[in-house]
Amino acid sequence: MNARRRMRQWGNRFFQSRRQCPCQRGDCLPMSDLTEGISGTVYCNNDIRTIERGIYVGANIVIFRNEEDEPNIIVSVGDSRYVLDRRIAHKIRVRVD
Amino acid sequence: MTLNKTPVIALAGNPNVGKTTLFNVLTGSRQTVGNWPGVTVEHKSGSYTHNGVKYEVIDLPGIYSLSGGTPDELVARNFILNQKPDLIINIVDASNLERNLYLTIQLMELGAPILMCLSMADIAERNGLKIELQHLSDHLGFEVMLLTLNKRFDPKLLLRSIENNLQNPPIPASIFYDPIVEQHLDKIWHSTLSNNKLNDSLLDKPLAEDLYWAVQKTRWQAIKLIEGDPEYIFQLDEDDRLAVEKEVKAIEKHRGQEAPNVIADDRYGYIRGLVKDVVKRKHPGNWTFSDSIDRILLSGIMGLPFFFVVMYLVFMIAVRASEPVIGVIESGLSWLFLDALGGLLSLINTPLWLKYLLSDALGGGIVTIGTFVPPIFFIYISLSILEDSGYMARAAFIADKFMRRIGLPGKAFIPLLVGFGCTVPAIMATRTLENPRDRLFASLLTPFMSCGAKLPVYTFLAMIFFPQRADIVIFGLYFFGIVMAILTGLLLKKTVFKSEPGNFVMELPPYHVPTFNGIMMHTWFRLKDFIFRAGKTILIVIIIINILSVITVPNVFSPSHEKVSILQVGGHALTPVLKPMGITQNNWAASVAIITGLFAKEAIVGTMQSLYSGTDLSMELNEDEPSNNLTSNLQNKFGSWKSALAYLLFVVLYSPCVAALTMLFKEHGGKWTFFTFLYLNLLAWLIAMMFYQVMAFSGASFYWLTLGLVILSLIYTNLRYIGNRHERTA
Repeated sequence: MNARRRMRQWGNRFFQSRRQCPCQRGDCLPMSDLTEGISGTVYCNNDIRTIERGIYVGANIVIFRNEEDEPNIIVSVGDSRYVLDRRIAHKIRVRVD
Repeated sequence: MTLNKTPVIALAGNPNVGKTTLFNVLTGSRQTVGNWPGVTVEHKSGSYTHNGVKYEVIDLPGIYSLSGGTPDELVARNFILNQKPDLIINIVDASNLERNLYLTIQLMELGAPILMCLSMADIAERNGLKIELQHLSDHLGFEVMLLTLNKRFDPKLLLRSIENNLQNPPIPASIFYDPIVEQHLDKIWHSTLSNNKLNDSLLDKPLAEDLYWAVQKTRWQAIKLIEGDPEYIFQLDEDDRLAVEKEVKAIEKHRGQEAPNVIADDRYGYIRGLVKDVVKRKHPGNWTFSDSIDRILLSGIMGLPFFFVVMYLVFMIAVRASEPVIGVIESGLSWLFLDALGGLLSLINTPLWLKYLLSDALGGGIVTIGTFVPPIFFIYISLSILEDSGYMARAAFIADKFMRRIGLPGKAFIPLLVGFGCTVPAIMATRTLENPRDRLFASLLTPFMSCGAKLPVYTFLAMIFFPQRADIVIFGLYFFGIVMAILTGLLLKKTVFKSEPGNFVMELPPYHVPTFNGIMMHTWFRLKDFIFRAGKTILIVIIIINILSVITVPNVFSPSHEKVSILQVGGHALTPVLKPMGITQNNWAASVAIITGLFAKEAIVGTMQSLYSGTDLSMELNEDEPSNNLTSNLQNKFGSWKSALAYLLFVVLYSPCVAALTMLFKEHGGKWTFFTFLYLNLLAWLIAMMFYQVMAFSGASFYWLTLGLVILSLIYTNLRYIGNRHERTA
């Protein structure tokens, strides 16, 4: 029973990591790591809610506000401004322009 | 083409694009507000007449897509699919065309006849955007018109356009995906759906119009199957499900992305090309006027002070502006229902019970609801201004920093703030939170905010027991409520609501100058909703309590067994329970006040004034103290400031009034209402008892304090148990 649970946990972790857009070293950054004023292009995003709001792969973004002690960041996408939870922003990978 | 008897027009669009404003322009006052069947998403429907034809208008919820991820999205798409409106007016924010077109694309995929109205054209112009309307219309396959909803707006042009589109329904352009995706889409479409497996009875109908609709619908269903929409997937049998899975896996392998993301990406691919073609930017700069304001209002230096100033203003408006109006409404309604109606009923010799039922119970209930209306009205005015101006989203962003520490999102700050005015609208304001967990959690904390009705109680007792330091005591009681809310928030976060607050994805809309009509319209709809929906239930409960206060039974707690009301018997019965917090048996009037406080908090003062003064009820009180003076009676019966302060702490924390409990019941059901009632009363008793026992320490205090600690640990254990059960069921 325990072995099966461990297998499932391992499987979840493995597939989760695949879903979390792995980057080659230096290839891209999590959106939450970008500082204010930095612009970039979305390289990988698996969160359908943010994709539907315009943060799709290839979209240009500019970080409007990103303070380390705040749980959210503000990002500019086209003509929209979004408050994004840092946990979501962390999963979105961006290539810095 | 001839029009249907009553053509149905649906208004669809993203949130905050001016849908409701257009709805109001079209329908005027002929509107009804209700809930979609099975869900608590509100919908408004109305009608208008043009050239002798009556048109029905449905205001769909503001949504970003038709994916069905939220109840709003689900009801909107089911309405379009099942009710098949004759025309969809898609309101699109011209200043944010790209994002808004995502919904348009999905509406086009449904094959619905669409008329597009571009709103916020002034903001688009200010941001240097020029949209080629005809060009856009040619690409999309339906009419695109500008909609400037200001004073010079002439609805005739829009009404004519609606009529034309209904007579000659446009056929939207088709959206094509990546060729490989199209290939797999075709396979699903033909193999899985061609034999009508999703119970599409329309496929059997011979009419060309229906056939077109059916074909579009099946293609839509095929797209939904690729997107993994559970509503459609579960309708398939095992073989078809496996076949769809095979096609989906092929798409994912080809694109290296999850299938729903592939579909969304391709839609945006189309939109990006379209926007590039039809939108000309005068200045390519990325920053707008709203961004400049945000640089100040969201900055580290200005952000928080400005936020607190705004929230203080909301609080001040809700509490201070409503105060005089409450008095006017209360005296006006009291005169009408209690004096005039009561007098009239006496004049025509109505039986006493009927007079009481109509004038005192029903009329008294209406008076009580009437006193809720001013604070709710002013709170809604403030909230509408904040929402329409665009500051509400910014406030939620700022508050999120500290609200998250107690397990709530920033948006929950607004309901808690509203709670200082009245708990009823505060619970209603939790509807602005998307996540059900956050809605429930915020609702449970709203009673900790001392509502406006508690202020007279604090003032009354503080002035008697602490005449020199009444202001500090009152402030301290407010502050104590906030501290207990934080502690309860932390406790519930560790036990019942262990999951994190909902992920924050929130749009910061551009700043607007709110219009007077818009604010009044929003406020009126919310107020109407309160009066006619919550008010009905509250009225029934108040009538029952009013009746209980006059039905007399022999007082089993008195040796003479004289007849007193059920409420008074309850007061006598409650007194031993309150003894550890300093309420002695001969101070039973304090217990009665606690019971009437459940009816409305301000009733505590009224009850005390009547029971501690020289009325017949106070005779018993004055047996050993002949003084008839209210102040000295109170001081004598409470004995010391310690028991009075313990009583005040109890009033701060104990159960909210029946109106708030009824609202809680309507929003979250009986289980959570019972939980709130039990938790708050137990907590109030524990805190008041422990405070009194510490301040008036004696030999028995040790036992009471030990009992308090045992009960606290039992509460914690029970909360953990509830949390685990809650987690399992979730």
